[in-house]
Formats: sequence, structure tokens, C-alpha cells
Amino acid sequence: MALSKVLCRQLPLRKFLPSVSCIYINNKQETRLLSSSEIQFAKLAQEKKPDWNRAVSEAEKIVGYPTSFLSLRWLLSDEIANVALHLRKLVGSNHPLLKTAKGLLYNGKNNMQAWGLIVLLISKAAGHSADIPDMEQDKAAGVLHSQRALAEVTEMIRTSHLVHKGLVNLQPPNNIDATGDMMFGNKIALLSGDYLLSNSCIELANLRNQDLVELMSSAVRDLSEAEFVGPRDKQNNPLPAKPKSNQVEYTQFTDNNLEPLVVSEALGNAQAEWTLRHVLNAGSLLGKSCQGTLKLAGHSEDLQEKGYLFGKHLALAWQACLDREPFQQGSTGPFSLVCAPMIFTLQHKPELYVHIENGLETVDDVDYDLLRKEVMEGPGLDLTKKLQKEHSQAALQVLNELPASDARTALANIIAAMQES
Amino acid sequence: MGSRSILNVRLQEKLGAWLFFGAPGIRGKSVSCVAGPAQQPPTLPAGARGGFGQIIPNLGNGQRQSSNEPTQSTDLHRPNSISLHPCIRPEHNLTALSCHRGTQMRNYATMNTQQPGPMPEYQVDPYRLLEDDLKDVYTYVRNALRRNTYQEDLYEIATYYFDGNGKAIRPMVAILMARAVNYHMYKEKSGLLSSQREVAMISEMIHTASLVHDDVIDQSDFRRGKPSVNVMWNHKKVTMAGDFILAVASMMIARLKNNDVTLVLSQVVSDLVQGEFMQLGSKETENERFAHYLTKTYRKTASLIANSVKSVSILAGADEQLSDLAYQYGRNMGLAFQLVDDLLDFVSSSAAMGKPTAADLKLGLATAPVLFACEKYPELNPMIMRRFQEPGDVEKAFELVHKSQGLEQTQFLAKQHCSEAIRIANLFKESPYQKGLVVAADYVLNRMK
Repeated sequence: MALSKVLCRQLPLRKFLPSVSCIYINNKQETRLLSSSEIQFAKLAQEKKPDWNRAVSEAEKIVGYPTSFLSLRWLLSDEIANVALHLRKLVGSNHPLLKTAKGLLYNGKNNMQAWGLIVLLISKAAGHSADIPDMEQDKAAGVLHSQRALAEVTEMIRTSHLVHKGLVNLQPPNNIDATGDMMFGNKIALLSGDYLLSNSCIELANLRNQDLVELMSSAVRDLSEAEFVGPRDKQNNPLPAKPKSNQVEYTQFTDNNLEPLVVSEALGNAQAEWTLRHVLNAGSLLGKSCQGTLKLAGHSEDLQEKGYLFGKHLALAWQACLDREPFQQGSTGPFSLVCAPMIFTLQHKPELYVHIENGLETVDDVDYDLLRKEVMEGPGLDLTKKLQKEHSQAALQVLNELPASDARTALANIIAAMQES
Repeated sequence: MGSRSILNVRLQEKLGAWLFFGAPGIRGKSVSCVAGPAQQPPTLPAGARGGFGQIIPNLGNGQRQSSNEPTQSTDLHRPNSISLHPCIRPEHNLTALSCHRGTQMRNYATMNTQQPGPMPEYQVDPYRLLEDDLKDVYTYVRNALRRNTYQEDLYEIATYYFDGNGKAIRPMVAILMARAVNYHMYKEKSGLLSSQREVAMISEMIHTASLVHDDVIDQSDFRRGKPSVNVMWNHKKVTMAGDFILAVASMMIARLKNNDVTLVLSQVVSDLVQGEFMQLGSKETENERFAHYLTKTYRKTASLIANSVKSVSILAGADEQLSDLAYQYGRNMGLAFQLVDDLLDFVSSSAAMGKPTAADLKLGLATAPVLFACEKYPELNPMIMRRFQEPGDVEKAFELVHKSQGLEQTQFLAKQHCSEAIRIANLFKESPYQKGLVVAADYVLNRMK
């Protein structure tokens, strides 16, 4: 869903930003492909159509049929039919679940699938060891059936987290739920999220790979941990921590990614805090899924580790790209207070933190126009752009170690499309 | 021990009027769950008639069967297949008196018959028997959660219900079964495996994760005698804490490195959620409604107990038949447990339960006592359909349930499941743990809270 948001909103951005070609890709044919798509980008920009969709739909062809878990099997299950029925009762209420559901179902089919798609693309790009029996392969798509299942699990876990995040806090005494709509919406949201989570449990168990189960479970743990980082308002919206004067380099992610992340040290250090939040929130799941899919293919620990880095960096690049979007010329309205431009600006000008503190009750109380102006005038946006580029390049660096293939090109195209914006 | 027997006395004072069998409670010497010939079964509604084995979905072998509606026919042969099970040792059933610590022991299967002479002094108390195994359950779980986060508020919410005040009935049954199966297969040669202990912890964690989410869904005020999590913290954080507990449990499952156990325990998680979904809506006809209720009961309660005892037997190296036997014990035990729970909701005091009574009615749920009662009082039907929403519904339904035979019938059904559990427990080689399984089934039936 976040993806669809990126894609819908990123098109105006493209106008301002110079195109970045994929310098890492040397293969002749790929260069041709890339440049042709650059031409396409230019055309598309004129037509006000996001090139993202093109990069994604081309990539989809490479790994076979669309990858979304929103498959017939899923839609036809009893529980989902049940949910759909109950959702109707919520129409007219303000429960955010409706918005979440709408985002899941109608927000452009291409975008929904991107996470699973990336898992499949990296699967195909890396190939698999020769001793895996034919039975377990999807020859046409060039991936294993187990890898496709894992891609589905990735999407289910992500969706489940989004749905759970979309609950409304009804903790007494600030229970303002006269009609019971909110309570009912919470019930449905919670159960739907749990349903997806329990389904991923079963899908994972069926893969009969306990290392993978442990890895993916730790990704679920990280997602739930993400919702506890730093100060929060009453609806659990995140606020940045008070900036610290001495910045430290944040180096957490090396040894064993099954261990939980240390939180306290990162808070108040702009880049470290941002990285921590979004590794927990997104990087961990995509990273571990990419790592897991290479595990299923029988690749070395070393390559699996690189798969993790690829997914993590890609997710962070993505997030940075998302974070810049509310600061385009002419944007108004609220934005996430923990987006990279805001956090960088705070670091640069700590006295702004009093404005952040206005949001401790609810983030709606924050003066967004004032903060936006500060962000636009400060170094935050440039630093975010730099951050995005670093992560994009780190992801491309991993890609470079894989043999040339259509899947590798597609991934590079996706990264390029993102960098463009 | 002491406090339990006091509760027991209260139970009798309170429930004496309607309790189906007047036998003394938990640790009474002549306790019997086995339906004797002298006892006349109360009439059961159509859905429940014809033996409990038929109306409960049979979810053996850890396969994905739970989405099937219960079938009336498939289970017909089950009692036979169990009685022909190879692990029945004829000598075991016949030697009622085998010796442990030189004390005379009685085969529990025969305890309902009035025999002359002194009753055995030696009584197995599962909690005492497993004192060493159980005393660290909560500490262990808290440590596991501690290792998985550096965030204090997450840790606090996640460990809120692991305060040592729970009954720990799931770990207790899992460890009892583990030790009973180990003894059955290896005599004294095998103690409790650390992996089996882990499963016991995991079962409690999965249970707690579902409690945490249930509290957000139901907006309950109290649980286990203290404010429930949803009163204490932000609901979004509470939801995430539930996910967190499940994720950590899932990591622990993976570390057992046993494909079958992972499959079996994943099925539990799925059953729990599907059971919760079933609770959202009820069925139109009475027949369907009872089957619906029983399937829901299996998924919400029995599946966890059944599949965790199945898991510990798989870890012991049991073959399919033996682990299925363990599963059947757990399934019957779990069904009885929930039936009794639903019954206590009508008769127990808030103080004893640590949560408000008639809570199910207030939540709009029609449990066994109500479903039985509407045989006699059809006016309950519209109330069930509108989920006791109208003013006075809850009070009226409560009254009608007490006027009807609903509570006795629920008790009877619970008792049947207990007898079946005990029958299965007696198929294991005699050991203190095997006896513990029998007592545990009795305890479930006669508990006060």
C-alpha cells in the first residue's frame, strides 16, 4: 500500500530531478534496455504516467503471472468473504480499516505486488543450485515453487502489519466510540491481520525449512518492535526523539540479524534513528525475505547475507524516496514527523523540537506549514536525497555480483525508476 | 492443595442443586468421570445426540482439515480403532494394582465402582508431580521475550499475563503427556526432553498471544483478577505486543528443528484465528448451531491442547498412532475444558473467576448452556439471533438457562469428553504421569475457575 502511495505521488517529483543511469550495469544489452526505458520515462512524464508502473509490469512478465497473494484462492476463502461482509457494516464510519482495505484492493494492481515481485526477481536473478529436482521448479518463470510461496508470505506479513497498524486506539478513558463502529472495525482489522499472519505461519511451515521459519518469524518480531520506537502520540503515531548533540555512527546490522536491534543508542541521532525505524518497519522484512529465498535456492551463506543487504537497502531507498514526497513544491497538509527530511532538519536546528512536542497528544496539533517551511529551507531534503542514493547504490552493488539476466535488469530498472523520482 | 479444597466445598454449596453428579470434586476419592450405567444421560439436542465423537470435527494427523465442517459420519469408527490400538497392553488394563513407592495403586478406570476396603491414600496431584517442571514456566517465557527486545514498554505489555498467576494448564498437560509418553516408550530411560519443555512454554505463549488479541477485540475489563491489557495500554501497542509474542513463539518453534512439530503448531495458530472468525456469526438452524459451536470450541481451545500434546509425543519419537492417541486425549480434554468454562460463566462468582460472569452473554455469544436451554425455551432463539442485544436479553437468557436443564446437559457433555480422555489416558503404560493425565482430566471437569 505504501508503494502505491509512492507511485501515485512521485510523478510530479520526476520533473525536477535529473535522471540517474545505472552506472553499475555494464552488460551491453542491458544498457540498451535501460536507455530505452529512460526515453520511455521522458515520454511518460509528459503523459503524467509514472514510469514505475512500466518498470513493475515489465518485471512481472519476467517471473510469470502476477505475484500478488490477492489470488482467487485467497479471495474465495471463507474468512475473507466474512470480512468483506463485515466491512460493509463499516461503510459510513470513520474507521481507517476502510481506507486500508481500499488501498489494498483498488489502488492499482501493479503496485500492490511489488514486494513479492522483488523477492521473485532476486530469486530468478540468483538462480538456484543444480541439485533441486525439476518437480519443485516453476520452469517457465525460473523460480522455485517454494520461492513463490515465500513471496506470498512476504506480502501477507506486510499486509497483516499494515492492517494491524490501522487499528484505532480505544483505550479508556479516551474512548470516543459512541456507535460501536470503531470497536467493530478494530475487531475486523485485528482478525484480518491475524488471519494473514496465521496463513503465513502455515505456508512457511509447509516449506519445511526451519531456518527460514525462524528468519521470517524474526521479521514479524521486528515489525511489531517498530511500533514501539521513540515517543508516540495517543494514536501511536511516531514522533522523533529529542535530537542529541553528539551524533554517532550507527552500526548495528552486521553480525546476526536474528537478534533484536538495540534501540536506545540510535534515538536522537538523525540518521541512526531513521535507519533503525525503517529497518524495523520495512528493511528487515524485505531483507530477510530476499535472504530466505536465496536460502531456499541452496545458495551459500555469504550470498544469502548479500541478499539480506540487497532487500534492506532497497527498502530503505524506497522509504527515503517516499519521505521526500510531501515536500514537493505546492504540497500542503500533514506528513510523517519521522520522515528523513524532518529528522535531518531537527538535527540541524534542534530548537524546532518544541513544535514537535506540540504533537505529543495528537500529531494533528503540530504546525505542519511551519515545519514544512523549515524543512524546505534547511539541508534535510538534500541529505535525504543523498541517503536514498547511498541505499540505491548499495542495493545495486549486490545486484552487480549476480550474473546478467533479465531479472537482474528488471531489478536495476526498478531501482532506477525510483531514483528518478 | 488447601485452597483448592476450600473452593471445592464452595463449589458444592453453590452448585449442589444442579450438579449432575453429586460426587465430590477435584480430588475426592470417589470421583468419576466415567459415566456409570446407573447414570441417566439428560437429553441432548439433535446436534449433540448420538455420541460426542460424531459431532466434534476430527482433525487428526495435523493436516489442514480445520476448514471442513464437522461431518457426522467419519468419526463413527474411531472408538473401535482406538480400542484396537497396539499400545493397549492387556496386562496393563488388568493389573489394577501395580506398585509405586510401595503404595497400593488403583486403576482409575475402575474407581467409580464401589469397592470395599480402604481407598488408596496415594493421590496424584499433577501440579505437585510437576512442581519442578512448572515452577519456571513463566520465568522462562519472560526470559525468552526479554531476549527478543530491548524496548521496555513492549517487554512490559508482552509479559503482563506471564505473571505466574495463571493456571498454566496447557504447559501442565503438555509436560504430563511428554513424561507419560516418554515412560510409555522408554520406561525410566528417558526424562523430559528440553524440546518437550519448550513446547510446553510455546503452548502458553500462543495462548497468551491470543488472549491479548481477544482483550482488544472484546474490550474486556478484567482478566485473572487484574485490569486487562487493553485497559492498561494503547490498543495499537497491545495488538503489536500480541504479534510479538506470537513471533517469538514461532522462532522458538523453528529452533526445535522438527518439520512436523512446526506444521502441527502452525495449525494451532490458524485454528485459533478461524475460531475467532466463527465467533463473529452464528448459524440459523439449531442443528447447525450446535455443530458450529463445537467446531468453534475445538478451534479456539481444544486445538492448542491437542496439538501441543501431539507435538511432545512427536518429539518423543512416537509413531503416528501413539501421537494420534495423545492428540485425542488433548482434544477431549480441551473440549471438556471449554465446556466447563462456558458453564462456569453462568454459575461462578466474579471473584473466583477473576473476570466478570455471564461475560459470554454480554458479548452476544450463545454457548452450550444457552443452546441446550433453547430446546426447552424456544423464546431464546430470537435472542440468540440478535446476540442478546436488546435490554433485558442477558438477564432473561441467564434466568432461562438456570431454569432449564442446560447446565446439567453441558456438564454431561463435558463429562463424556472427560471420560473419553481418561479412557485414552489409561491406554498408556502406568506411571505417575499417566495417572496425572487421568487426574488432570478430572480436575478440568471439577475446577472452580
